[in-house]
Amino acid sequence: MNKVLLLLTTLVLTLSNDSSDKVICRQGSVSFFSYTSVENIKAQNNQVSSIIDFESSKIAVSMLMNAFVFEKALMREHFNESYIESDIYPKATFEGEILDFEPAMEGAQIRIVKGLFTMHGVAEELEIKTKIEKSGSTFTLTGSFETLVESYDINIPPLLAGNIAKTISVDFRFEYEPYEEK
Amino acid sequence: MKKSSCSLLILVLLWSNGVFGQDLLNLLEAEQKDENQYAPSAFMMTRIAFGHSTEVRPQNVLDVFVANRFWNTPEESTQSFVADRMSSRIALEYAISDRLTFGAGATTFDGLFDAHLKYRAALQRNGDGWPITLTLFQNMSYDSSPIADQSVSDDFSDRLSFTSQILVSKRFNKNFSLQLAPTLVNRSLGLSAADPTSIFALGAGVRYKLGPHVSFVSEYYQVFNPLESRTTFDPIAFGVNWELGDLMLQFMLTNSWFMVEDAFITRTPNNFNFRNPNLNFGFNATYVIHFKNKLKK
Repeated sequence: MNKVLLLLTTLVLTLSNDSSDKVICRQGSVSFFSYTSVENIKAQNNQVSSIIDFESSKIAVSMLMNAFVFEKALMREHFNESYIESDIYPKATFEGEILDFEPAMEGAQIRIVKGLFTMHGVAEELEIKTKIEKSGSTFTLTGSFETLVESYDINIPPLLAGNIAKTISVDFRFEYEPYEEK
Repeated sequence: MKKSSCSLLILVLLWSNGVFGQDLLNLLEAEQKDENQYAPSAFMMTRIAFGHSTEVRPQNVLDVFVANRFWNTPEESTQSFVADRMSSRIALEYAISDRLTFGAGATTFDGLFDAHLKYRAALQRNGDGWPITLTLFQNMSYDSSPIADQSVSDDFSDRLSFTSQILVSKRFNKNFSLQLAPTLVNRSLGLSAADPTSIFALGAGVRYKLGPHVSFVSEYYQVFNPLESRTTFDPIAFGVNWELGDLMLQFMLTNSWFMVEDAFITRTPNNFNFRNPNLNFGFNATYVIHFKNKLKK
């Protein structure tokens, strides 16, 4: 019994130290859209980082809120200052799991990614349908989902409520390469 | 024995699981550049109340700026509607680059035509990064008002005034920002021999946010060597700034009806109190026009 335990422990330890079973994306893009009859707002962030661990099928995403670029330069200031309060909540993160993920499978697979998305200090449970494409050692994850603004405790003045959609659609695209520990 | 090793096994597995979950975000944390981000703007508006703030607009943004002051004359009763006197300044301010802004405007009541250049030299960073925002401001104004006194020399160059400012601001936290503005005003029109042509002043301005879009502001200029030939007072203002997307509104109470730097710093004739014509109601509206879509390369 003790031998089995020792074996298991070493196995777990080696697994957790091994880095070749992870892939990383350093310049992923996330964009969001708000369509209303008054105004269309679009923003894009091309510096989103993400990492996938094949062993546990776990995925993490982290983005800096002030890296979102808007059509109107001043919107970025308003977004960071008055809505998302990026000096208090500088990052949005996602931690989750790719359900039924098959890392070895070449080509495309459509999977559900389930996890916690944290933005503006509020954590929301999300289930996102994601297309995973593998070619050689690189992975590409693409997908889109919709989320409600009101879930994130963001203060929108009544006068501007018509300018911001209740449902925000989010698109993402991450390209991963093998992760090398520095 | 068996029981304890089993629970130990579970413990080990739990521990490894926890490490996996926490690990990924920590790994990303380590990947991301560790540099201090630029702090959000200290004032949002290009003016605190009447004076300029350290704020400049991003490139290719045009501000259409309209400022008004309303006040009453000391007469007991007048026939004027709402206010006895008003002055308006209409200006266009264009951001040539993310740092440099050029603006020009005209004021109705005192006949001042003015132009300015504003350059943001340094921007505050978060954390223990660069601590302040530093903006250089240079303005020139031309006084077009008629002068009855024939003895006053009023060539073109005599009618010019210059204001140089070093604007230093710090955003202390989300709600509170402070600005100091060492100022030099150079003017010559209609001065007596006793008056200094170079006038030094120190401006101070604060913003306190009352909500995500509304803030309370106050601004004051201490003049160190005021004009000798007439009584002038230091300009002061208390106001509320309201940001509405592309439209920004400022409401203020002030003792100065002037809206150009050299005029309100050196020539404010009233003290701040509630007797006419001392109290001015001020209203500034800025409409922001973007000429460039930042998402298109």
